[in-house]
Amino acid sequence: MIIRRLFVANRGEIAVRILRTARRLGIETVLGASDADLDSVPARLADRCQRLGTAPAAKSYLDIHSVVGAARAAGADALHPGYGFLSENAALARACQAAGILFVGPEAQTLDAVGDKLSARRHALAAGVPVVPGGEAESLEEALTAARRTGWPILIKAVGGGGGRGLRRVDEPADLQAQLELAITEAHAAFGDPRVYIERFVADSRHVEVQILGDGHDVVHLGTRDCSVQRRFQKLIEEAPAPLLAAPLALRLAGAGLAIARQLHYRGAGTVEFLVDRDRDAFYFLEVNARIQVEHPVTEMVTKLDLVAEQLAVAAGVGLRNSQAQVEVRGHAIECRINAEDVARDFRPSPGRITRAVFPAGRGIRVDTHVEAGSVVGPFYDSLLAKIIVHAETRAAAVERMRGALAACRIDGIKVSTALHARILADPEFCRGGVDTGYLGRLLAPAAA
Amino acid sequence: MARIELVDVSLRDGNQSLWGATGLSTAHCLEAAPLLDRVGFRALDFTSSTHMGVAVRTFRENPWERIRLVRAAMPNTALQFITTGFRFISWQTSDAEFMRLVYRRLVANGLTRFAVIDPMHDMDALLECARMIRAEGGTEIVAGLTYTVSAIHDDAFYAACARRLAASPDVDRLYVKDPAGLLSPERVRTLIPAVQAAIGRMPLEIHSHCTIGLGSLTALAAADLGVAALHVAVEPLGNGTSLPAATRMVANLRELGFSVDIDDRALALAGGFLTRLARAEGLPAGLPQEFDAAFLRHQIPGGVVTTMQRQLKELKLAERWPAVIEEVERVRAELGYPIMVTPFPQMVCTQALFNVIGRERYANVPDEIVRYVAGRFGRPTRPVDPHILERILARPRAAELMNEPPPPTLEELRRRFGAGVHDEELLLRAVMPAAQVDAMLTAGPARRRYNPELAPVLALLRGLSCRVVPDELVVDKPGFRLALRRAACRDS
Repeated sequence: MIIRRLFVANRGEIAVRILRTARRLGIETVLGASDADLDSVPARLADRCQRLGTAPAAKSYLDIHSVVGAARAAGADALHPGYGFLSENAALARACQAAGILFVGPEAQTLDAVGDKLSARRHALAAGVPVVPGGEAESLEEALTAARRTGWPILIKAVGGGGGRGLRRVDEPADLQAQLELAITEAHAAFGDPRVYIERFVADSRHVEVQILGDGHDVVHLGTRDCSVQRRFQKLIEEAPAPLLAAPLALRLAGAGLAIARQLHYRGAGTVEFLVDRDRDAFYFLEVNARIQVEHPVTEMVTKLDLVAEQLAVAAGVGLRNSQAQVEVRGHAIECRINAEDVARDFRPSPGRITRAVFPAGRGIRVDTHVEAGSVVGPFYDSLLAKIIVHAETRAAAVERMRGALAACRIDGIKVSTALHARILADPEFCRGGVDTGYLGRLLAPAAA
Repeated sequence: MARIELVDVSLRDGNQSLWGATGLSTAHCLEAAPLLDRVGFRALDFTSSTHMGVAVRTFRENPWERIRLVRAAMPNTALQFITTGFRFISWQTSDAEFMRLVYRRLVANGLTRFAVIDPMHDMDALLECARMIRAEGGTEIVAGLTYTVSAIHDDAFYAACARRLAASPDVDRLYVKDPAGLLSPERVRTLIPAVQAAIGRMPLEIHSHCTIGLGSLTALAAADLGVAALHVAVEPLGNGTSLPAATRMVANLRELGFSVDIDDRALALAGGFLTRLARAEGLPAGLPQEFDAAFLRHQIPGGVVTTMQRQLKELKLAERWPAVIEEVERVRAELGYPIMVTPFPQMVCTQALFNVIGRERYANVPDEIVRYVAGRFGRPTRPVDPHILERILARPRAAELMNEPPPPTLEELRRRFGAGVHDEELLLRAVMPAAQVDAMLTAGPARRRYNPELAPVLALLRGLSCRVVPDELVVDKPGFRLALRRAACRDS
C-alpha cells in the first residue's frame, strides 16, 4: 500500500525527525500532541495537529485509547510511535491493527517476544547467541541461587523494563533482600509488571549495539554503534561504527544481531544491544529495542540511509531496499545528546524558557532538535533538547569536528549539558576510543568528591 | 465515466526537451521519486541511453546506481527505458549480445517497461528488439508508431505497422509517438481510429509534444477516441517543447467527464519540488507554445532545438538560427525524409549546422551521416538524393568507414577491458571515453539528497570560500541571523 497520511504519536526531536522524512516523501502528517506541546516546533511543522490530552504523559502520549482515537479521527492510514512512550507497546500495535491503521514498527507478537526481557533472552539463546549469566528472581531464594551461579555484583532488572530503566546494582548478598523488594515495587509501578530477573554485572564492559532492518523475511544489519558513554545507564554519546572493535568481533556481533532478528522474523528497524567484555573478547546479548533508536542518526550518517524512510517502506509492505552487499559503512559518526540538565547539580532537570538557541551548521554536521529561542522546556517529559551529530572520514576528524560543533552551540536561559560533552571530547581516554560503561562515572568522580 | 491513465515523462523526456537532458542529477531524481510515486501514474518515462551517458559525462554519476536508487525510492510505479534498438549511449550500432546484456542489466536494476521505436519504421527491426527485451525480462513492452508528416506516412501506413506489432507476443501496448508535436486534433481523429481498428483490444497510448501548441488538444482528442493513457509532464517540465502539463491535463480530463485516478496533493507536491529545483538551478520552466506553421516543415524535436541553440550561442552564431532551420529542411529532404527522432534530428541538424557555417554545403560531413547514406542505420524511407549520395560516398573518409569492422562482440570487449570488470562498467567503457568512466568511478557514490531551499545558501558559501573575506561574516535581518566564522577545522 501507499501511506498517504501518517499520524506521529510522539513529541520532541523524534517527532520533528519523523515529520521531516514524511514531508520529504510527500506523506501528509498529523501530529498527536498533548496540551503542553500544541505550540511546539513539531506541532508547527506537521500539516495538522490533533490533541491527545493533558500534559502528563499518562493522560496523553501513554494513553492508547486517546492515541488511536486521535489517529482514527485524523483519518491516518499509518501511525509512527517514535521511541519511548508507547513505541514498543504491543497493545498499541494491536489497537492500530483493529482500527485499520498501519503500525510503523514490528508486529505485536515481536513486541511481546522482546518486551518481556526473559523471553528476549530465551530467543537469543535459541538463536545461538550468548546472554549475560543470570536468571529469574521471583523470590529471594531464587535470586540468591541465581546470584551464586553468576557471582557478585549483580544487576536486578525489570522483566518489563528496558532502555536502561528499572535497573538496580547489588554488590553483596546482604543488600539483596532490600533491593529486590524495592525493584519489584518499582517494576510494578513503572511497567505494570512486578517480575524481575538478575544478571551478573559485567565490569569493564562496553555497550555495543547492532542496527538491524527486516521485512519479515529478509534482514540486514547496518553496522555497529557504541553507546558506552553512559551515566546511570542513560547514554550521552554514541558513535558509529564502534571504535577499536576488532573486525572479527564486529563481524560476530553483526552476525549475532542478524541471528536474533531472523529468529524473530523481524519486521522494521530494531537494535540488538550487546555487552562486550573488553578483557575476554566476548559479548553477551542484552536486549532488543524494537523501535527507532535515539542514536539512529550516527548509523544514518555512515550508511547514508534514512532509517525512518526505511521503516515506512517496510511498514508499507515494500521489501528491503538494500541487500547486505549494498549497505556500505563510510567514515565515522558521533552524536552528543544535549540535555536540559544541570550537570553540576547531579544532572538535575533544568526546565525553563530558552532565551537563545544557536546551533552549529556546516559540512558533516547535523542537528536534530525541537527547540529554538523562546521554547519552553516543561517538567513533564525527558530533558533531551537536541542531538548534535557529526560525520567525517576518520574518528579523529569526527572528534575534532564535534569539538568545533560544540563550541559553536549555545543555548541560554536554562542549564544544558554541552560543557560536559566538550570535556569528554577533550579527554584523552575518550579520544583513544573504546571506553567502557564505567568511563563517565570515573571522569565525573573527582569533580563530585 | 471512462477511466484514463497518465504516464509521466518529466524525468526523461521533460528533462530532455526543456533542459537538454542535463538538468537532473541522481539526488534531484531521488528527491522527486517518492513524490512522483504517490501521484498514481501508470508508469514513469525514466531514462534512456542518452540520459545514462549524461549521468556519466555531466554529473560523474553511475547511471546504473541511479536506476537502482530511484527504483527503491518509488516502488509503486513502473519505470520505463526508451530505446531505438541496437544502440547504447554511442550513436553507433552495437553487437546483439552486447545489447542483450544492456537490457539484462536494466531489468536487473528494476526497469520493467520498455518503449521501443524504430525511426525507419522497420517493423522487423523493432520486433527483433522487442523479442530481445522480452527474453531479458521486460514485462511491459510498448511499441512506438513514430508520427511524421510526409507523403507516405498516411493512416493506412500506420495501421499496417500497428497490425504487425499487435500480432506479436512481445508487444503489450502501442503508442503514437509524436516527438515533434506535429499531430493535430484533426489528424488524430482519423489516425487513432485507423490504428485502433488494426490492433483490436490492445491498449493504445498517445505521446504528443507541445512544440507548436498542439499537444494538449491532440491528447484530449485522443482521449475522446478511447486511448488508454496520455503522456504528460509535471510542471515545470510540461509545455514548451515537452509534453502537456499534468495538472491542467487532469483538470481538463475531469472537466470532459473522464475518471482520472490521480492524487492531486501528491501531484502538487511533485510540481512544487521541481519548480523550486528549476528556480534554484536556473533551469527554465516550460511555457505554453504558440502555433508555428514553419515548424511543420523542419520538424526538429524540442531537446535538439535547445541543444542546437546552445551550441550556436557558444559559437557566437546565435543569429544564424533561422538559416540553420531552413537548411535542416533541405538536408532532410536530400537524405530521404528520415523521421526526426533520435538519433536522426541530431545527425540532420549537425549536417545543417556544418552546411551553414562551413565554406560550402557538405564540405564537412559527420561520420554518422556517411554511415547513414551507406545504409548502416537501415533503409531510408525514401532514397537519398543521388547527387548528395555520390558526393558523400566519394569522400576518402567514406571508404574508410565502409571498411569499418563490425561492432566489437561482447567477448572482444571482455578481453579488451579484462575479465574482472563488472558488466555494468564494461557496458559504459565500451561506448564512452575511458577518462569519463574513470572520473565517474573516482567521484564515488552519487549524492542522495538535494534541498533546493539550501542551494542559494550553499552557492553563497562556495562563492565566499573562493575569495578573501574577514574572519567573521554576519548576515542579519529580522527573524534571521547567519553567522560565519573561520574555523580551524581541517577539512571543512
